[in-house]
Amino acid sequence: MFPSGFIKKIMVCVDGSRESVAAAQWAITLAKNTDIELIAVYVVNVNLLKDLVRMRIFVKIEEMDYEKDLELDGKRFLAFVESLARAKSVPIHTVLLKGVVDQELIQKTEEWGVDLLVLGELEPVYSRADASHHVSELVLRKAKCSVFVIKNVEWVERIYNSLDART
Amino acid sequence: MRLSVLLRIDTITLSLVNRDKDGVIEELVDLAMKSDMVKNRSTALQAVLEREKLGSTGLERGVAVPHAKTKAVDDLVMALGISKEGLDFNAHDKKPSHLFFLLLAPEAAAGPNVKVLAQIARLTSNPDFCTSLLGVRSPKEALQMIKDAE
Repeated sequence: MFPSGFIKKIMVCVDGSRESVAAAQWAITLAKNTDIELIAVYVVNVNLLKDLVRMRIFVKIEEMDYEKDLELDGKRFLAFVESLARAKSVPIHTVLLKGVVDQELIQKTEEWGVDLLVLGELEPVYSRADASHHVSELVLRKAKCSVFVIKNVEWVERIYNSLDART
Repeated sequence: MRLSVLLRIDTITLSLVNRDKDGVIEELVDLAMKSDMVKNRSTALQAVLEREKLGSTGLERGVAVPHAKTKAVDDLVMALGISKEGLDFNAHDKKPSHLFFLLLAPEAAAGPNVKVLAQIARLTSNPDFCTSLLGVRSPKEALQMIKDAE
């Protein structure tokens, strides 16, 4: 599909949503039978937890409790994405990150020399205020590498399912 | 996750009867029971009351967000109670609370739970929204208002 060496490293951001699963499936499909290095990341949004404490919706102990829960969620989800890749004999690294989601993603794409960042379909925004602080919107605008937003979940799932499981 | 999808007309009331904190929480849990998604009333109620002991969920601007993780639900369940007169919910600004958003979350849904709480915080940070919601005349109107605001 692409010339050899055109894309060396793809990072896909997964967050537990069906859309991000489709993004992972798309990335796995693209990486199949190539030398593309594939990385899946899940970012624990600790910033959101701190906001909830600041707003007094959470107490401190809840922040710690939920952070552990979100970490567990992230590990579970990354394990699932790994199984998706393994099912199609595609090597993948998985990394759990913690921090401000858009900042972590952008920093890691630069730090790791990522050529292509893959995201699931963006959540709908209902106001300009929403758009200005929505994570995916921020990443799209600030990332220095190319960013693909994967749509049409059903089509992606069909293509992924039709992939040969053998190397 | 949109609040207008989690809420239903029958899980919204404009006429909270109780005037004390624990009584209001009970009423909200009873509202949530109408969703048919709460498996055990006393387990859910206990979880919310226990959480409230850690610190009041009465915030500023008349908003309260009692919430808890509980085995009593398998999915997020919300209820909304509105009290035009207001009542003492031990809010952080010491003022009466009028808008009560109850959220019950399963123990393994941290991500969606946090997002919904953030969504409630975002909507209620707008004083005009809170004032308008307090002025609704029916649960249907309240639900539509939330849907429009999202």
